[in-house]
Amino acid sequence: MPLSLFDKVWEAHVVEELPGGNALVFMDLTVAHEITTPPGAIAIERDFDDQLYDARRIVSMIDHVAPAKDSATALQAQTVRTWSKRHHIRFHDIGDNGICHVLVPERGYVTPGMTVCCGDSHTCTLGAFGAFALGIGTTAQAGAMLAGCLILQRPKVMRVEITGALTAGATAKDLALSVIATIGFRGGTGYVLEYSGSAIRALTMEQRMTLCNMAIEAGATTGIIAADETTAAYLAATPEKPSGWAPLQADPDAEYAASITIDGSAIRPVVSWGTNPGECSPIDGIVPFDAPEESLAYMDLRPGQRLASIIVDQAFIGSCTNSRIGDLRAAADVLRGQRVSVPTIITPGSQAVRRQAEREGLHDIFQDAGALWTHSSCGPCLGMSMGVLAPGTRCISSSNRNFPGRMGDGGRVHLAAPAVVAASAILGRLASPSEIEAPAAVPA
Amino acid sequence: MIVAGDVLPVPRANIDTDQIIPARHLTRIDAEGMGEHLFEGMPDGPELLARHPGAAIVVAGENFGCGSSREHAAWALLGRGFKAVIAPSFARIFAENAYTNALVPIVLPQHTVDMLMGARRITIDLDAETLRADDGEPIRFALDPLRKQFVLGGGFLNFLQAKIPAVRAWEAAR
Repeated sequence: MPLSLFDKVWEAHVVEELPGGNALVFMDLTVAHEITTPPGAIAIERDFDDQLYDARRIVSMIDHVAPAKDSATALQAQTVRTWSKRHHIRFHDIGDNGICHVLVPERGYVTPGMTVCCGDSHTCTLGAFGAFALGIGTTAQAGAMLAGCLILQRPKVMRVEITGALTAGATAKDLALSVIATIGFRGGTGYVLEYSGSAIRALTMEQRMTLCNMAIEAGATTGIIAADETTAAYLAATPEKPSGWAPLQADPDAEYAASITIDGSAIRPVVSWGTNPGECSPIDGIVPFDAPEESLAYMDLRPGQRLASIIVDQAFIGSCTNSRIGDLRAAADVLRGQRVSVPTIITPGSQAVRRQAEREGLHDIFQDAGALWTHSSCGPCLGMSMGVLAPGTRCISSSNRNFPGRMGDGGRVHLAAPAVVAASAILGRLASPSEIEAPAAVPA
Repeated sequence: MIVAGDVLPVPRANIDTDQIIPARHLTRIDAEGMGEHLFEGMPDGPELLARHPGAAIVVAGENFGCGSSREHAAWALLGRGFKAVIAPSFARIFAENAYTNALVPIVLPQHTVDMLMGARRITIDLDAETLRADDGEPIRFALDPLRKQFVLGGGFLNFLQAKIPAVRAWEAAR
């Protein structure tokens, strides 16, 4: 039977079929961070003699609150730190760390055809490598660490073909948001989104990660993209330089439970106006007249309002969606020679990204523009630290969730690509990068 | 096993886990103390809970528990005395976490859920997989046949532990 890419990865990892359409699925790698790992690690220590299935199949890091902001988060970090050392787990402490979904791929820990799980919903990011990568709860992660497996219902597969090519102004973030707007905020529930098409093939690995990162925001189990020469080149340049993997492709006549096609050349820069990522529109447009009342009440917006008229109080560039070097370069291209007019926080996705940005002088561009350049952290994306919003304030953000209260109680979030965040930071309102005039050349 | 309790109606879709328990409370190394912060991230959450003291069954709109994978959402509901959530659909990770922690996730059609929103008390028979709203007729539902055992008797990690020899054999033959 012809198989999808996802089906091939799935079938290569099923240890045992279980009742009710469930399966015991082997996990090649479990990623463990300080927020969701400790209760599971402690349960294994207490109830299962501290036995792990295979510590070599775990990689851990401090990423969400780095460094710790208080005694409680310090205890979380210390728990992961001592547990990692005790088991000789590959561990990335502060200084050598990064957001798990940025650090794990950049080190070369994920290869095509692998299965990866983590107690973090954005683990779907790693599907960009042709891996089956998914977010799970703390206890399921503990199960993967204890027994090497997850219990999963086999997801259906939706083929998402992006034809043509993205135009100059459109980014992978715009594509990700547009896919969610097309299939709906819960339209991917029960599915894996298998991306294909010429516009996907043309994306860099970083852009593919941005796209797959937001599969969860459509409710999907994950996203997945077949490995190709772009993948191979990226992996060859990582510290691990993994070898021995074979690229998998969907069979040409594979059947899909659902299939959609989107014209890549029609994707335009978008920004969210509502309280889920599917509620977004082109940035030169308006708040739709049929926008849900409840979303607009929370966001304090009215139908028909021009998006470019919306005043912002803060700007944030970071998160597992858009904090890689390409994202920072895009922001720097807009911010070069400009000044931000609202508090602007720029948080690289990993310390390696930070160092690369500094080698390129991007940190000077950001700081010359008046932005705060930080070390790596999940930061304010989830309202935990380093830039949490005040009630009633509005943030333009390169992150992934605009849920009520996500970045702080009563805070309002507009999602967009890094260049749009940068332009908005300069003008103090939602803005397109095309609105920013190049600074006059300084006479020699 | 019978699970019964008063209803907390949450007549909205897409109640995400940030609304169920905001991330600022995800700073413990155990599952304790989450209940007191339940629905703090939902704009009218605390008021809603205050209007339904002692409620034990959430009846909510589609896509309940979407967003973050935080198992803390299930822990917060359990910590506040909730035993079941009834909705037209759940986000995958929330449903998995609910089963693992013996918080019963029940999927019913939207029109049935709409009717249950108005109920005062719901009684759930887990063995028969039926429920009754107040004095109404029994309504059938279906639980995941495998995960149901974790609701009835716990033992999620023990189940996996018992599979370790099979997993090692599978990996050796890979």
